[in-house]
Amino acid sequence: MRMANFRSSYGARRLALGVFLSVLLGFFLLPHQLQTLFQEIGGPVGWVLSWPIRLVASVQGGIGETWGHYVALQDVEEENRQLRKELELLQGQNSQLREAASATDRLTALLEFKSQALPAMTAAQVIGRDTGNWYRTILLNKGSADGIQADMGVVTSAGVVGRVVKTTMATAVVLLVSDPNNAIAGLIQRTRDEGIVEGTTPGLARLKYIPLLSNVRAGDRVVTSGLVGGFPRGLAIGTITTIDKEEGALFQSAELRPEVDVNRVEEVLVIQSPYIPGEDGKSDGPLPKAKP
Amino acid sequence: MKIVAYACAVAALVALHATVLSYVSVWGVKPDIGLVAVCLIGLLSGELEGLVVGLFVGWTMSLFSAADLAASMVAKGSVGFLAGLVGRQVAQVTPLVLVSGLVVASTLSSLMTIWSLKPNDQQDIWLMIRTILMPQACFDAVVGGLCYWLIWSRLNLDRLAEGREF
Repeated sequence: MRMANFRSSYGARRLALGVFLSVLLGFFLLPHQLQTLFQEIGGPVGWVLSWPIRLVASVQGGIGETWGHYVALQDVEEENRQLRKELELLQGQNSQLREAASATDRLTALLEFKSQALPAMTAAQVIGRDTGNWYRTILLNKGSADGIQADMGVVTSAGVVGRVVKTTMATAVVLLVSDPNNAIAGLIQRTRDEGIVEGTTPGLARLKYIPLLSNVRAGDRVVTSGLVGGFPRGLAIGTITTIDKEEGALFQSAELRPEVDVNRVEEVLVIQSPYIPGEDGKSDGPLPKAKP
Repeated sequence: MKIVAYACAVAALVALHATVLSYVSVWGVKPDIGLVAVCLIGLLSGELEGLVVGLFVGWTMSLFSAADLAASMVAKGSVGFLAGLVGRQVAQVTPLVLVSGLVVASTLSSLMTIWSLKPNDQQDIWLMIRTILMPQACFDAVVGGLCYWLIWSRLNLDRLAEGREF
């Protein structure tokens, strides 16, 4: 047991109270200005603090790699057999899809659709997770110095991961698709019905505002609609698992299983400009925010 | 010198929080070591140090999280300040006092976060309380108790505190 802090001087106590009240008052009276100020100062501070994070992340990565290469090889043979079976199945599907793709190419040419340019993307590595328990985010090793800004979409080859919400000079915070505070415009691929995909508290996702007359069913795939936000049209978000249709409700909603396993993602692509202007100078979709 | 030590400690703390700590999470909840550190500093070194370190920890942790900057700074700063006030009222800081104080501090800080999140329905609030707030408060108390025991019994805290000046 130890004696408490009796030695704090009266002046220090008064100063502490003054600082405390000033901070409280400041955040109540000038919330936006103070947030912007601290965020601006946070840029270089974030750059400095990103180095210990990178250091720990690289040590952690090294340990994980060693474990993966030498220790966790027990089930590899069984896994290999499974993967070979899966490969055969996918080869069959691939030839069917090639057929479908060539048919789509022919039809697109017939309808004189503009070929959609690939969006500009930057690759980044995941170096950490949220520092708290209240948000589902990942931390990337690239920030505002690499041209990454808030509201840019983040994807992997499998589909949508989330959206950039905060940046420092050397890092970016990505709010995952499974976070309840995230909202992405989605589209049911089969029925073409649009809705909003939001995360849920247990860590899945939910497609809201599906029209009542929609014949959506479990197993339907949901993709980005490309109408708003930092994503082009057609990126996989998830697959519908259950549908909720409440009595008297104006819309139905559906629970989704996200396409990307956000807990295991290691490398991502940040979409810096989802819409490329067409030949006539007009954009194919909403314009991204102008860079400062 | 003390400022440099605090800055290094905060940098290490943020790095741990962002990387390693997710591996020691229980039911997806990890302890808030920042809050524990701020509480200990406030309790043992006074309101001013608790407040300033709390504000700094809140600010740096919010840079690597989607958390609201103001809510994070005010929550951690308040905890440091209140811990300093409590430290002056309590004659002897026993492990029981510390653990109970940490449960209260963690709960208040989490309630402030829930308030800033503005959840859509009551079901979500209860789910957050059940799945995050309560386990985190227990986790923080246990980690804080362990830290206190370690510092007090192994590092001779009284001698460390002799030259405290801010």
